[in-house]
Amino acid sequence: MGVKVTKRYGGAFKDRLFLPAIFEGVRVTLKHLYGNLTDINAVSTLRYPEEQPTDISNRWRGLHRLTHRADDTIACVACFMCATACPSKCIFIEATEREDGNDEKMPESFFIDTLECVFCGYCVEACPCDAIRMDTGIFTLTGNKREDFVMNKEQLLSHKGAFGEETSCARD
Amino acid sequence: MSTSVILVAFGSFLLGTLLALLTIPVLVWLERRIAGLVQDRLGPNRTNIFGFRLGGVVQSFADVVKLLLKEEYYPSHIKNGRWLFMMAPIITFVAALLAFMVIPFADTITIDGETLRVQALPIDFGVFWYMAMSGIGVIGVIFGGWLSHNKYSLLGAARAGSMVISYELPLGLSVLSFIITYNTIDFNAMVHWQSQTFFGFIPAWGLFIQPLASVILIVALFAETNRNPFTVAEGESEIVAGFMTEYTAMKFAMFFMAEYVAMNTASAVIITMVFGGYQLPWVSTEMLHTHFNVFAFSLMCISPFVVAVLIMWMRKNNRVRPSVSNDDGRNFETKVLTIVMIGFLVVIEFILGYLVFFADDPFANSLAVTLFQIVVFVLKLMVFNIFFILIRWTVPRFRYDQVQYLGWYYLLPLSLLNIFITAVIVVGVS
Repeated sequence: MGVKVTKRYGGAFKDRLFLPAIFEGVRVTLKHLYGNLTDINAVSTLRYPEEQPTDISNRWRGLHRLTHRADDTIACVACFMCATACPSKCIFIEATEREDGNDEKMPESFFIDTLECVFCGYCVEACPCDAIRMDTGIFTLTGNKREDFVMNKEQLLSHKGAFGEETSCARD
Repeated sequence: MSTSVILVAFGSFLLGTLLALLTIPVLVWLERRIAGLVQDRLGPNRTNIFGFRLGGVVQSFADVVKLLLKEEYYPSHIKNGRWLFMMAPIITFVAALLAFMVIPFADTITIDGETLRVQALPIDFGVFWYMAMSGIGVIGVIFGGWLSHNKYSLLGAARAGSMVISYELPLGLSVLSFIITYNTIDFNAMVHWQSQTFFGFIPAWGLFIQPLASVILIVALFAETNRNPFTVAEGESEIVAGFMTEYTAMKFAMFFMAEYVAMNTASAVIITMVFGGYQLPWVSTEMLHTHFNVFAFSLMCISPFVVAVLIMWMRKNNRVRPSVSNDDGRNFETKVLTIVMIGFLVVIEFILGYLVFFADDPFANSLAVTLFQIVVFVLKLMVFNIFFILIRWTVPRFRYDQVQYLGWYYLLPLSLLNIFITAVIVVGVS
């Protein structure tokens, strides 16, 4: 294996003067400075919160919601698939008997601790009834105390999907 | 000593102090905004008082409040010399502040036959004062680094020491060739000398008379202010914050502010020695005095255009994107600032018009000329500060042995050569 000789730069007189290279660099930075100074909106920074992101796709995992059936009852049948799949163990379900005649079971209470949640989307994949989804497009959740971040059943049902498809596809 | 002497002395002192201290928050803000704009970001622009953002300059004042409210913390391992540990940032800051005080902001004004300097310290050996005071600044850095009893700090201090021996000699020698050329050690006389022209049309600025010494002076002053490309005394990636590692709250802020005061001072020295000081090219103070009416009238004609450009720029840029409806009161700010600017313009036009058409008072005229020169000085100062900032965000850093190499193998022989050539030419001409 032969010796590979790499050509080194910087030995020429012009390079050792430093000043031509510095002038060239200043020219580049000055061009950016002048361009952005004369038209500040050319800077592509998102001016959050006045500007909201527009690039949230329907695959993006936002805050969870519980879907409804066509007759506006809850789609969830309290099968505990999501709670079992959840890697951070943040879904807490209590099942009860269902009175509306659609199915046998429904959740009495359904809590998601969003401080524990890692937004992996396993619950959505595990659900056999398409009852839990993460398509709300909500990326901010604020609260004054820790309890505010534990979503209950009513809150989860009240979230709207951001991309149409209001009702559950699996159970109608 | 008459009242006017005291007034002028007090006014110049106040001006010097304000120029040195009030530019710190502005420079910190400028640094952050320009860094942002150079890198296609925005920089801090959100902080406001009652909706007035002023481009975000309020951020610096908020930072000052934050630093004032921080915990005063002394590392417990500093047993001896704690007073010197506390003194170190003060030494650096005061040295940088004092060095600024000999810069002339305008030409001398004559009141009742007395010639008064518009300098915070009215002395005629300004160059020596500057060299003495700016050399002290590094002592604070070395004390701070040494007394921190911290290896990072000690390395930072050692590097600061190595910096001194690499740039002080070229700096002194390049200043020496300026002294030989201008035949004076008085900053004001240097500016006077530069108001001539040679070959009939080129202004006799140090840049054109002494190009080599100018470059060496600018490079050495970059090193003296500890700014990029010569930030060897502190380096985030290798020695944490260098000499500042153990400093907190206002003690840290002192070091931080000293850097900006030193940068301001270096800009002032560069424009005074190299770029004609407070004077516009081709326009000397005598010319302004003799043709005052022409000068004031042209100023009256130019200033509306300047203000119009400023207002148009503000209306274009002080708003959110057109696609966004919520503008957060920025239109209101633009409106108020437009009214304030037009008000200032009207006042200035009125005063100048009065001086041109009605009054024939040489004292008022000379006062107006002095104010004009102060404005020119501040504008030049800001332009050079922006140049300092731009260089910081353009050029990568030198290693500290490379700085020594540059200082001893390039700058020192070149400045010696330059002194030789200068001396030969000066003797030959005279």
